[in-house]
Amino acid sequence: MSLQLIPPDIDVDFVGKRYFFVALSTLINLAAIFLLAFVGLNYGVDFAGGSVVQIRFDKPTTGDQIRHALASLQLGEITVQDFGAKGQNQFLVRFEKVKSIGSVGTRIEGALNENYGSSNQAHVLRVETVGAKVGHDLRVDGFLAVAVATIFMGTYIAWQFARVSWSFGAGAVIALIHDVLVVSGALVLSRLEFDLTTLAALLTVIGYSVHDTIIVSDRIREDAAKRRREPLESIMNRAINETLSRTILTSGTALTVLAALLALGGPILRPAAFTLFIGIITGTYSSIYIAAPVVLFWERGHRIKGTAARAA
Amino acid sequence: MAVEIVTGRGAYRLSAAAPIEYADTSLILTLAMERADGIERVVTRCRIARELVPDVPEPEEIIARLKDWIAREFETTREAALRSIRSERRLHEITFDQVNPGPF
Repeated sequence: MSLQLIPPDIDVDFVGKRYFFVALSTLINLAAIFLLAFVGLNYGVDFAGGSVVQIRFDKPTTGDQIRHALASLQLGEITVQDFGAKGQNQFLVRFEKVKSIGSVGTRIEGALNENYGSSNQAHVLRVETVGAKVGHDLRVDGFLAVAVATIFMGTYIAWQFARVSWSFGAGAVIALIHDVLVVSGALVLSRLEFDLTTLAALLTVIGYSVHDTIIVSDRIREDAAKRRREPLESIMNRAINETLSRTILTSGTALTVLAALLALGGPILRPAAFTLFIGIITGTYSSIYIAAPVVLFWERGHRIKGTAARAA
Repeated sequence: MAVEIVTGRGAYRLSAAAPIEYADTSLILTLAMERADGIERVVTRCRIARELVPDVPEPEEIIARLKDWIAREFETTREAALRSIRSERRLHEITFDQVNPGPF
């Protein structure tokens, strides 16, 4: 006897609970908009501009001691972050504005070694700097990338499903906006850094979410053509139940890998892994509870083309 | 003393970031590659087999030998060094020996 994760005759009434989940998602999205507007993302050096310096010490030290040692350089607001495993004595120092960036690595190394003396030498392993203007431009470009990806994905789906109904495109776009907002809100709450890698992860989430929405929408289209007299609500429930096993298996395996990456990937990969982890959960959820209900609300009182199906 | 090379990313200064370390069969030069305007610095380790260099070389001698090789392999070296520091939190190491003598 084969092991079945989801019974083939499963019949969960997903669409019947749509009012509750749409209300819940609306609340979460409003909270995410509030967080984005009033708290804001924790932009990394790519978007905020400034410098990041990775330093290794021979012996243990603290963030406060480093901040004190660098005070004479007048680097402005400094953030010192313990970086790496215990015993590696590595720190990331970030600052936004410097009057003269010339040889900042050498100056930092000099100031630290002067303060700590020969007993605990500092070694600047990496310096990366992004100008404020470049950071601003990257932020605008990043926002445009997300907006354009969302609009084009929605247009493409609307075009692909145009023979059935334009509402599938609208459902996909609203589901995508929902996913982007949920992931962005989670990033604000977690205070994880939003850098170019995180942006790439966010764009990947958009791709994944659309992929999952297409699977469900395509099955709705097929079932609608086969069951012309059945109400649309029932067709949608059947389509979601039929694709449930595939949805859970693909999302589950992806989440397993991302959980490992989240736990073991280290601090640099954590924001991207977190973005993908939340994005895959919300992308799967939105295909069922956002995209499908939007189609249902849109089609209320109408008939899906080529079928006699009626919205409940 | 720093040696300057010209790369696709602008001029970079090569200098020794630490005194040479001596092992049984090799020596290690910790090399800093810093952009001339100071906006970027990345450090890497060069492990060189003892038979390829004099017994007690000066860091400047080794950097002078490495200069053209680093200039030619700059993109790969920089990328590998940055990736290693960012993700693995350790210095990237390039090995020069009889099999891969590089510029020696």
